[in-house]
Amino acid sequence: MSSTTSIRNRPEAIRAVPVRHPGRWIAVAVIVLLTAMFVNMLVTNSAFHWDFIAQNILSTPVARGALTSMELTICAMVIGIVLGVVLAIMRLSPNRVLSSAAWLYIWAFRGIPRLVLCVLFGNLGILYGRLEFGLPFDHQIGQLFGVTDFHARIFGLNWSSLIYGFVAGLLALALSEGAYMAEIVRAGMQAVDPGQTEAAQALGMRRPTVLRRIVLPQAMRVIVPPTGNETIAMLKDTSLVAYVPVTNELFFQLQHIGARTYLIFPMLVAACIWYLAMTSVLMVGQYFLEKRFSRGFGATGRARMRLRTRGAGAPGGVVEE
Amino acid sequence: MSDAEVSDQPEPPGPAGSTDLPPPADCMVLADNVHKSFGRLEVLRGIDLAVPAGSVACVLGPSGGGKSTFLRCINHLEKIDAGRVWVDGELVGYRQSGDRLHEMRERDIAEQRSRIGMVFQRFNLFPHLTARQNVMEAPCQVKGKRRTEARTRADELLARVGLADKGETYPAQLSGGQQQRVAIARALAMDPKLMLFDEPTSALDPELVGEVLDVMKDLARSGMTMVVVTHEIGFAREVADTVVFIDGGVVVEAGPPDQVIANPRHERTKSFLSKVL
Ligand SMILES: Nc1ncnc2c1ncn2[C@@H]1O[C@H](COP(=O)(O)OP(=O)(O)OP(=O)(O)O)[C@@H](O)[C@H]1O
Ligand SMILES: [Mg+2]
Repeated sequence: MSSTTSIRNRPEAIRAVPVRHPGRWIAVAVIVLLTAMFVNMLVTNSAFHWDFIAQNILSTPVARGALTSMELTICAMVIGIVLGVVLAIMRLSPNRVLSSAAWLYIWAFRGIPRLVLCVLFGNLGILYGRLEFGLPFDHQIGQLFGVTDFHARIFGLNWSSLIYGFVAGLLALALSEGAYMAEIVRAGMQAVDPGQTEAAQALGMRRPTVLRRIVLPQAMRVIVPPTGNETIAMLKDTSLVAYVPVTNELFFQLQHIGARTYLIFPMLVAACIWYLAMTSVLMVGQYFLEKRFSRGFGATGRARMRLRTRGAGAPGGVVEE
Repeated sequence: MSDAEVSDQPEPPGPAGSTDLPPPADCMVLADNVHKSFGRLEVLRGIDLAVPAGSVACVLGPSGGGKSTFLRCINHLEKIDAGRVWVDGELVGYRQSGDRLHEMRERDIAEQRSRIGMVFQRFNLFPHLTARQNVMEAPCQVKGKRRTEARTRADELLARVGLADKGETYPAQLSGGQQQRVAIARALAMDPKLMLFDEPTSALDPELVGEVLDVMKDLARSGMTMVVVTHEIGFAREVADTVVFIDGGVVVEAGPPDQVIANPRHERTKSFLSKVL
């Protein structure tokens, strides 16, 4: 068969008139027009005060505020992810008490708005003046044995010196994030074929090893993309800690300048620029993480393989670490 | 009740009579009256089986008869409800003290499993690891072997299953037959004294079946004790020392292949063999 096709002459390449898409051209025209109008508005409307934006957007308090927001984002996400993994493992545990406790946590911290949590954590000092460590229920135990004034406290800390501003805001964001991450991690773990766990167990691996070496690495492929979204959402939510209150945070600083100079709108624009810049950086990070964890699955894994077998790079070195 | 049903069976020949089982120490695998239910479905209803060290037992039987379930009971992936399973003279999953059984801790169960290799119908290779890493993973994580040592051993094993050049390849880039051979190498890396195979060739294209069976024949020749659930009658006839026919959760018939395959005594065995041959 192939011999007959190779004997015959190759016919003339097809040169057909392509289908026209007038709808698309109209859409392009409309978009170009709108963009031009928008840019024109940005440039000509004097309310923007671009010179004022340029003066302030990199000023020390603003840059420091951006740094605080970044720190908050990173710390809250790290704590949130660790908490989420622990909660997800508890949630999937055959032990009913553990899984119910995780469920209750997720229910509570997903249900309460972050803004409310921030204000709440800023006011925790009302609940506990001091934070003391010792035997739990010591008063009650004392009464049980007829001692009315029994204390078994080892040491105490002043709550308001421990949980203030930054830490309170961080806790509010991180604990709330833990609840969302728990659901993301759980979905990821459940997406891994149960045959993987069986194969690992049949090899003699114990549950923690199976989770760490087999299930979680495969779950990462499902976990990373929504975690990227969570990180971006977290960066934006750091503006909520102004209500704790944390005053050296980006949005508060910009608003503060705006309020002081009566140039509120330019400072809002500056905030938009800052947040867009920072989320762009995060998106680049997410891209590389996604590539890292899709190894062995589909096209990216395949491309990597080819690169690696061709190049002389230490085989397997990248994967193990 | 189920005991009565089991004894209603015409007395099968060979090791299936529950009273004349050899002592556990003489067998690599000994199953004594194993029962297992999933909810109200009674899947195993008194399985007896003795596999001497160094021999190959092939398990045949119709779908849903409980073959996979029985195999998974041998390494305690399934908990049995009644009866006993010993591997190499050691009770599986439980510890006997006096006349009481204690459940084993997870650590001890894992230790037992590490000495029993298992090969699955759907391979279950770890897709995020290369072929070599698949083979190295358990020796490093379970036995704490050094990576260099594990790597050398992994390359030996991959060469043994004919995949010396595939160490760097991820499972998704291997054919089914190659994947199953990596899975065999992965199980062998733990130096098991017993290998369990659950229909290792059923998910393969016909032209790939041979390469996997060849590796298994080689393994049998090297003296490995094997329990193989399979529909490959030719393989069973050639390699098996014992053929066990399981249907409805009981051992209907067991014996050497020229007896069970060539001259089956029971109606159910005959009708099954006439369908698959
Ligand atoms: N985890 C489970 N939960 C409930 N029922 C199960 C479970 N595993 C197996 N079964 C049931 O037990 C019966 C025996 O299953 P098993 O997989 O052991 O059969 P098999 O002999 O291996 O069949 P096949 O040749 O199709 O693999 C089937 O009816 C199956 O539906
Ligand atoms: Mg089966």
